Amino acid sequence: MVDYIKDFLAPRFEKTNPKAVVKAVGTGPGDGGSQKIAEKLQAQKGNAAWDVDVAVVHQKMAGDLVREGLLAPYVRDVSTGRLVTSEASKNALGTNVQGYVIPMFQSQIAIAYNPALVKNPPKSYEELAAWAKANPKKFGYNGIKGGMSGVGFVVGWVYANTPDSEKLMKGPYDANTKAKWDGALGKLKDFNRSVVITPGNAGTLDMLNRGEIAMGPVWVDMFYTWMADGKLPPNMRLQLIGPGLPGQPMYYVIPAKAANMEAAKKFVEMATSPAVQAEGIVKKFNWYPGIDAQHVKSQLDDKTWNKLFVDVTPQELASKGKVFPIKPYFDDILESYERKVLN
Amino acid sequence: MQDRGRLGVLLVAPALAAVLVLFVYPLGYSLVTAFQAKGGGFTLGNFAKAFEFYSVDIGFTLVIIVVSTLLIALAAIAIGGYLTLGENPRAVALLRWLYRWPLFIPFVVAAQCMRTFLAKNGLMNNTFVGLGLLEVDQTTGFLDWRGIIITFVWKQTPFVALLVAGAMASLDRSTIEAARNLGAGRLRILFEILVPQVMPTLVVGLILSFVTMMSVLSVPLMISGESPTMMTVDMAFRINNYGDYGTANALGFISYLMTATCAWFYLKRQIR
Repeated sequence: MVDYIKDFLAPRFEKTNPKAVVKAVGTGPGDGGSQKIAEKLQAQKGNAAWDVDVAVVHQKMAGDLVREGLLAPYVRDVSTGRLVTSEASKNALGTNVQGYVIPMFQSQIAIAYNPALVKNPPKSYEELAAWAKANPKKFGYNGIKGGMSGVGFVVGWVYANTPDSEKLMKGPYDANTKAKWDGALGKLKDFNRSVVITPGNAGTLDMLNRGEIAMGPVWVDMFYTWMADGKLPPNMRLQLIGPGLPGQPMYYVIPAKAANMEAAKKFVEMATSPAVQAEGIVKKFNWYPGIDAQHVKSQLDDKTWNKLFVDVTPQELASKGKVFPIKPYFDDILESYERKVLN
Repeated sequence: MQDRGRLGVLLVAPALAAVLVLFVYPLGYSLVTAFQAKGGGFTLGNFAKAFEFYSVDIGFTLVIIVVSTLLIALAAIAIGGYLTLGENPRAVALLRWLYRWPLFIPFVVAAQCMRTFLAKNGLMNNTFVGLGLLEVDQTTGFLDWRGIIITFVWKQTPFVALLVAGAMASLDRSTIEAARNLGAGRLRILFEILVPQVMPTLVVGLILSFVTMMSVLSVPLMISGESPTMMTVDMAFRINNYGDYGTANALGFISYLMTATCAWFYLKRQIR
C-alpha cells in the first residue's frame, strides 16, 4: 500500500503539481492500521489544521470516522465522484458514508479451484456443500482465526443459510437474530468434517498450489498476484458462488481539517481517475477498481480486462459480491461460530 | 559508606526502572484488566467466557507443551549423551557442528519452513515419494497438532542440548571410566551415571523451554488452522476481531498460572 502511494501515485502527482511533495506514512495492515489513523485524528481534534491530508482506511473505521465528524464531505468537489455509484461508496458496514469516501479499490473473496480436478465447479453454497461431501478433504478454508478469506466464507455461509441476510448487511441490529442461526451453524459443523482447515489466507493458496486441495476461498487480488509471481499454476480458475461472498473496499478519505485541503482533493481526483485506476489498481495490483468498472474498461487492453473479469463477470460481481455484515452482527457471527462450530 | 550505598542505588536504577516499566507495569495492568468489566468494576465474567469458549484449547495447549517438553528432554539427553560418550570422533564433530543450528532461527522462520516441509505434498513427503519409499496416495500432511510439536521440538532441543552437553562435559570422567571398567554399556552409563548428575541443568533448560513455548503465537498460527488451537491464537483473535482485551487477559492470566507453577520449581531449585 505504502509502495503504491510512494512509487506510483506520488511521482505522477508531483509531476503535474511541481510544488507538492507527497509523503506516505504506513500505519500497518488490517483494521489495526486504520485504528491508528483514527487515533491520530482524534488527538488533533482541537487543532486548527491537521497534518494528515489524505488517508486510506478500512470499511469498519470509515463509519466511525464519519460519525465522529472527523472527515470532510469532499466527494461533491471532486470530478471523479460522479464515476462511483457502488453500494460500498454509500454504506460502510451500516453507516451512511455517502459524500465522504471514494473507494480506492474493491477486494472480493471468491472460490478458487483447480480445473484439472474439478470439471463442473459448484455454483452455489448448496452445490459446494454437496461437492465437499462427495469429495472429502478436497475443499479447504482457513476457519475464522487465520485470516479474512475464511471469515468471509463463513459470513457467506450464514447469508446463504439464514432467512434475513439483507438485515445482517443493512441492519437494524437485533440481538435475538443469532438465535435463528443454529441450523446453519450445525450444517457448517457437519461440513467442516469433510473439509481441510488451512493455516491462513496464504495457507489455502499454498495447498491449492501443491494440489493438496482442489478448491478453497481466496481473495481475488491475492490469487492473481500469486499467479503472476508463479506461485500458483496458471490454469487455476475462480468461481463466485451464489448467493454471494463478501468483499470489502478501502476508502480514500480527507480529514475535516486537512492542512492542504485543495491539494488533497486534487490528489484523490487523480488517484480515482479512470487512467490511474486502470494502470495502478487493476493492472499492477489485481484489485477491482474503486470507481465503477465500465469507466475503467476503456483504459485497459483486453488481456488485462479479461484476466480480471473473465471468471467473475462484472454482472456477477454486482449481484454476488456482498458486503460484510454490520459490526454487531459481524461479532455475533464470529462468536456463534466459536460457540457452535468449534466447541 | 552512605555514599557507596547511594551509588549502588544509582547504578541499579536504570535496570530497575526498565524492569518496572517494561515488565512489572504491563504484567500488573494485564492482571488487573483480566478482572475488569467493560465499563470498569470487578468481574469474573472474563474468566467465565475464557472457560466457556476456550477450555478445550487450554487443555490442548497444556498437552502440546508437556509432550513437546518431554520429547525435547529425550532428544537433548540423546545428543548430550552421544557428544560425551560417542566413540566415532568424526560423527561427534559433525553432530556438535549440526545440532546448534536451529538455535539461531527465529520461531516464525522455523514455522514458515515447516509449513512447506511437513505439508501433504511438501518437501518431506515428496522426498519419500521420490525415493520410492511411499506412494503419492499414501502421504499424509503433518500440518496439525503434530506439526506444532515437531516444530517446537526441533527449535527448542538445541537450547536444552547445549546446556545438558555442557554439564555432561564438565562432569568428572572418572565416574564414567569406573562404570565402563565394571562392564556397563553406554546406554546404562547415560541413564544411570550421566543423567542423574546433570538433572538440575536439564530441568532448568526444560522449564525455560516450557515457558518460551507457552508464549509462541507464530507456530500454531502458521502450522495448523485446525481447532482446537493454542491459547496464544485465541488471545490474538479476541483482540483483533472483537477488541476484547478482558477475555484475552483472562487467558493470559491462566497461562501465567501455568508458567508460574514452572517458575516455582525453577526458583526452588535455584535456592537450594
